[in-house]
Amino acid sequence: MMRKKLMAATVGVAAGALVLSACSSGGGSTDNPSGGDTTKPVVMELWQNSTTGDGQAYWNKMAADFHTKYPNVTINVTSIQNEDMDGKLQTSLNTGDAPDIFMARGGGKLADIVKAGLVMDLTGKLDANTESTMKGALAAFTIDGKEYGVPTSVLPEGFFYSTDLFTAAGITDVPKTIDDLSADAAKLKSSGGGGIAVGAKDAWPAAHWYYQFALRECSQDTMNKSASTRTFDDDCWLRAGKDLEAFAATKPFNDGFLTTSAQQGAGSSAGLVANHKAGMELMGAWDPGVIASLTPDTQALKDLASFPFPEISGGQGTPGAMLGGADGYSCHVNAPPECVTFLDFVATKTNQEQYATAFKTIPASVDAQGVVTDPSLTNLLTAYNNAPYVMLWLDTLYGQNVGNALNVAVVNLLAGKGTPEDIVKAVNDAALKG
Amino acid sequence: MTTLSETNAVDRRNDGGGASAPSPSVRRRRLSSPWRKRLEILLLAGPALVLFAAFVIFPVIIAAYYGFFSWAGYGPATDFVGLRNYTTILGDQAFRDALWHNIVIIVLSLLIQGPVALGLALLLNRKMRFQSAMRILIFIPYVISEVVVGTGWALILASGGALNSLLAKLHLESLQQDWLANPNIAIFTLMAIVTWKYIGFAVILFLAGMQGIPEELTEAAAIDGASYWQIQRRITVPLLAPTLRIWAFLSIIGSLQLFDLVYIIWGPYVAGTAGTSTMATYMVLSGRNAGSYGYGNAVAVVIFIVSLIIALTYQRLVLRRDNRDAVNGVPR
Repeated sequence: MMRKKLMAATVGVAAGALVLSACSSGGGSTDNPSGGDTTKPVVMELWQNSTTGDGQAYWNKMAADFHTKYPNVTINVTSIQNEDMDGKLQTSLNTGDAPDIFMARGGGKLADIVKAGLVMDLTGKLDANTESTMKGALAAFTIDGKEYGVPTSVLPEGFFYSTDLFTAAGITDVPKTIDDLSADAAKLKSSGGGGIAVGAKDAWPAAHWYYQFALRECSQDTMNKSASTRTFDDDCWLRAGKDLEAFAATKPFNDGFLTTSAQQGAGSSAGLVANHKAGMELMGAWDPGVIASLTPDTQALKDLASFPFPEISGGQGTPGAMLGGADGYSCHVNAPPECVTFLDFVATKTNQEQYATAFKTIPASVDAQGVVTDPSLTNLLTAYNNAPYVMLWLDTLYGQNVGNALNVAVVNLLAGKGTPEDIVKAVNDAALKG
Repeated sequence: MTTLSETNAVDRRNDGGGASAPSPSVRRRRLSSPWRKRLEILLLAGPALVLFAAFVIFPVIIAAYYGFFSWAGYGPATDFVGLRNYTTILGDQAFRDALWHNIVIIVLSLLIQGPVALGLALLLNRKMRFQSAMRILIFIPYVISEVVVGTGWALILASGGALNSLLAKLHLESLQQDWLANPNIAIFTLMAIVTWKYIGFAVILFLAGMQGIPEELTEAAAIDGASYWQIQRRITVPLLAPTLRIWAFLSIIGSLQLFDLVYIIWGPYVAGTAGTSTMATYMVLSGRNAGSYGYGNAVAVVIFIVSLIIALTYQRLVLRRDNRDAVNGVPR
């Protein structure tokens, strides 16, 4: 289908190109993307996951700006609902009718696609500016020393909370330890602030709690080693489960959290925070944008602030380590060279600043991070920049199969149907289903 | 059809005529008749067979093929694992739970929906005011899409939802429950929703069956002094039996395939802990969500085999008489 479209577009644009070249003869070439022919029309498909508002407008603007700069390149932007993205991408990649540029989140999920030889190796092709300003964020898209994507945002995780509800509950300082956190959740509940919202129906938001405890209990080395062995041999994985079990026993979560979804509607965990029905939630740095879309006036929540996950005593993880993810974009293996030019284009300082503003998040480019002034993000950004290391979401890092088994096991634990031992067993057994 | 019987008539006449050679026109007809018949069969059944083969038989074969591989879904499947996927499925407690839930849903659907629908159908079969309106009201839930029903009930039954608020307003706090997440209750919540949703279908089916029962029988029984209940027990219900058997068959198949309501209300993760997971939600969870497409295909094959066994057994044991009657055209 895409080939057909390309042919039709070729005919159309070629006719236009004749007219254009007549007007601009002798004008000389301006930019030459990756050494490609600037007069040869190129059409690329882009799949992104923002279906409404500023996010969608951003990608349309990027496509239009790129077309202005390189008139022979046309980019068709397709919006795909986030939860449908993996499945649709999978189908299209298998049929050979894949988009040229698609959203990717690095880690094991990207590794599966790379393994099938469907992603363009960007090593040595990216602009020096992209390489230097993305720094650590590029690591999420680096597999076996090769780069397969360019990040657009970095998404460290922390608690997003309502300062109004904290004040109403008599909480004066953000919690520094897990005991503080339990105590604050109890205060929030007794003052009608609804405790800590968690969207366990979608599993991953609940599983993030386990990831955070594991980050504190396990050393960086242990966590990285599990990425290649895909087994949980170290004792720290069990201790993380016990920590979570003990914490959950204090009943800190919102009523009915097992059937609460993460981001859909006012009844979701983000919706509960947006409507002051819950005091806080543990979430990645995209949360201010999601919460803003769920407030009654769909404007940013005025009293939203953030703090990093508290420390525990006796863990092997370096204090200050953070968990996070990165959103980014990859090129299909057969995409034209202009795809790389586009990824560099999106990674420039101005375009990264626009991205951060449109998505209310932290841009991947260090140069553009000055644009983050939202008080709900600055705390996390500081913690992120000071972190000794940042671990990728475990379900991304360890791949879809192990990640899914891990998430299921954590939900079972929180529902009282599983034990910390079951979490370790589920991960070690997942290879059988792989 | 007409042509065929005409041809037969001509043939018989000729046979009756002894050794006389058939006239040229008759010979032509006789020769053409088998081809004609084959062409007719091809034209009428061909498109359906092609569709059936392309969208039913072929996917089953492909699923069976992928079921023998460990395959993440990208590129060709190369990692052959033999029967490992199948042994893992049968050994997985989550799958056995899901299968058990399916069985519970089948049994409870038959036990709850059957008698209730029969009662409603008997009621609605009597001449009364607002009969059509009541029939429509009972049938409406069946027409509403599963996603809408699921979303609606999920909102009503959420722990802070309408039902618990209503109970609080009525000062019945002791009856408040976590209707969805409590594993002791969730399966009955699901059964209540399933009953509400599908009872209309059963009622309409039973009513249609009752329309086919000749009025003379009930009139004659009434003249002989049979009471209303005697008539229903001795005449209506026995004559409705073929309809009841078909309904039960459809209900069993529907229960085996139950997916959308559970997926919308609980999602594939919490369905397992709440005790409402079905084989289909297990397939999505461990196949698609895990990116283990080889394993997912193996689950699909297991569901297919389970359904096939149950369907064929039912056909053979229960529906045999109905089918034979239908084939031979014997009036029931």
